[in-house]
Amino acid sequence: MARRYDSRTTIFSPEGRLYQVEYAMEAISHAGTVLAVLSKEGIAIAAEKKVTGKLLDLSLAPGGEGMGGEGAEAWMGGGGEKIFLLNNNILAGLAGITSDANSLVNFARNRAQQYLFSYNEDIPVELLVQRLCDMKQGYTQFGGLRPFGVSLIYIGWDALYGFQLYQSDPSGNYSGWKATCIGANHSSATSLLKQDYKDDLSLEDAKSLCLKTMSKTMDSIKLSSEKLEFATMTLHPETGQPLAKIYRPSELDELLRTLELGGTKEEQIGVGEGTGGGGGGEGNVAMST
Amino acid sequence: MECAFAITGKDFVLIASDMSAGRSIIQMKSNENKITPVGPNLAMACGGEPGDTSRFADYVDRNLRLYHIRNNFPLPPPSAASWVRRILAESIRSRSPYAVNVLLGGFDTTTSKPHLYWLDYLGTKADIPYAAQGVGMYVTLSTMDKWWYENIERREALDVLNKCVDEVKKRVTIKFDFNCVLIDKDGVHSLDLKSQDPIAELEAKVAAMKPSDPEPIIPSSDAPAIAAA
Amino acid sequence: MEYNGGSVVAMIGKDCVAIASDLRLGQQSVGVAMNFDKVFPVNDKLYYGLPGLATDVYTLREQLRFRVNMYRMKEEREITPKTFTHLVSSTLYEKRFGPYFIEPVVAGLPSPTELDPHPKPFISTMDTIGCITTPKDFAVAGTASNKLFGVAEGLWEPDLEPEDLFETISQTLLNAVDRDALSGWGAIVHVITHDKVITRQLRARMD
Repeated sequence: MARRYDSRTTIFSPEGRLYQVEYAMEAISHAGTVLAVLSKEGIAIAAEKKVTGKLLDLSLAPGGEGMGGEGAEAWMGGGGEKIFLLNNNILAGLAGITSDANSLVNFARNRAQQYLFSYNEDIPVELLVQRLCDMKQGYTQFGGLRPFGVSLIYIGWDALYGFQLYQSDPSGNYSGWKATCIGANHSSATSLLKQDYKDDLSLEDAKSLCLKTMSKTMDSIKLSSEKLEFATMTLHPETGQPLAKIYRPSELDELLRTLELGGTKEEQIGVGEGTGGGGGGEGNVAMST
Repeated sequence: MECAFAITGKDFVLIASDMSAGRSIIQMKSNENKITPVGPNLAMACGGEPGDTSRFADYVDRNLRLYHIRNNFPLPPPSAASWVRRILAESIRSRSPYAVNVLLGGFDTTTSKPHLYWLDYLGTKADIPYAAQGVGMYVTLSTMDKWWYENIERREALDVLNKCVDEVKKRVTIKFDFNCVLIDKDGVHSLDLKSQDPIAELEAKVAAMKPSDPEPIIPSSDAPAIAAA
Repeated sequence: MEYNGGSVVAMIGKDCVAIASDLRLGQQSVGVAMNFDKVFPVNDKLYYGLPGLATDVYTLREQLRFRVNMYRMKEEREITPKTFTHLVSSTLYEKRFGPYFIEPVVAGLPSPTELDPHPKPFISTMDTIGCITTPKDFAVAGTASNKLFGVAEGLWEPDLEPEDLFETISQTLLNAVDRDALSGWGAIVHVITHDKVITRQLRARMD
């Protein structure tokens, strides 16, 4: 029975469900965890990287010691695999199919620049989230297309509402959070966050809560920059302008050591180890990060 | 033939514009309002080709209101000015350009700062503390050069504005009547230049209105009415 | 070009470049604003100036900012002065039969790379439809360009240190715009060196 309604994203099943959208969400719940915590002083975001094996040539890819940076440097792709700068004032962490994610990131950056072009002002965070969700929604309705297999967490700042944290899924729904998580084990991570979150967190608290929850969520006990990406959105102490900082691997290891969560590089990690996802994830790790 | 000028002060912007309408040497109307509120704290004086001015003011007004409704907050003055400039710049290279010159004044409620922009039909934008458009430019700019100072208070600014009006009456051969608005944190208010103390009248009006009327989230189409004098 | 007025000049020094503009915005003979900066940063090693029709100054500036930002995010590196010059040039040529009335000037210090460990300071200038020239000494544009040519020819010398270059470009600009009714009303100068950018606002004749 289900077969008949599977292949089309645009048709409801008799139970009133859109299977393709649900499958997309299911795919994401196997992807690397992304987790963010909001505080009054800024936002911290951490993302789990899947380790894909020692033959993968990462020497030219982002993710080496060259990655990351603060402010203008973050523009130049702090670009790891999971955390991207969408605009001056907005960072995003992605979980899902990498190729879909890349296309979404490109779309988001274009829309942010278009807004800057029209209004000479950085795009408000929620507006960019809306723009992306409008597009994602379109792919659940128009024929012959499959939805984006990507969930995003957006962290950003704008003059109107200050620091904001949003999450969106393949259906095009989005919502604002104080702390949230997408990807593998997101439900257990969310309940951990629910326990430990307090309203008066400092940025340091937020960073620590973010990474501590991450360490409990991921399978391996010791965290390190090999398996993790980390970034913050704060305000520049002098100019008061938003300041995105994507941590360099060495900076992240340093932070992990101070929080006593690891930070030392482990021995070579084999494929499948420390991938976090609940089963089934290993087969297509190269595709689903 | 038009004449408009504007002055920013400590926490407000004053915009004055002539109210004449006519063709060549004939004046057909002396109470045509040329200042349109285009947001809760934003107003625009339009001069230029008569048909274009009202069309353009309407276009800007509706689009800024659409932005307000869609996003639940109004576009702040600097961004609104950039957007209006873009419209004019795109229009000048189109087949039917708007021939309008604009003074856009607004109060940014997020930063509590007044803003004034001088825009011409080409899409030129200047961000300046006081400005003039039209024939008044030649006589009122120097008047404001002499009398304007930083953080000027309301009454003093209104004095400068009246000096400009007098200067226009004295030096320009065309007869003009003026109307005037003041934009501050509370919105766009019309001022009666003929009154003894327009600022006191305005303060009384705002005080009487405040407790019962919280600022509407979406401006109703007739909200800050600038009654034709 | 003569509608709004304004001038820009750029000069090469020893391991540094400088670029300066006046601050006037006019409507023919009437002065409208004295805070109209015509020089914009791309990054802290690369600046460009856009003298000409003010509406096109904004339009081109916004267009270039869009393209540079996308370049930076996609390429994951800063744009070099030479590439940027070609970006400006092709942006101008897109409007070959209805051009932007702008004569851009670009000034930058290329960062050392493996292939070119000691790159030379770079300046370039274009006409309104993007024909590039890359002078080895100085570049001028705007309503005072003919005067700027003369003064720069007399004052510029090779291998000036940053402070001397600042003095040279400042004197060149101030003395040239004093003889031009459509430029002046203050000036701004940027001297780009490898470790910092020196930006100074100059007072000029305000008449």
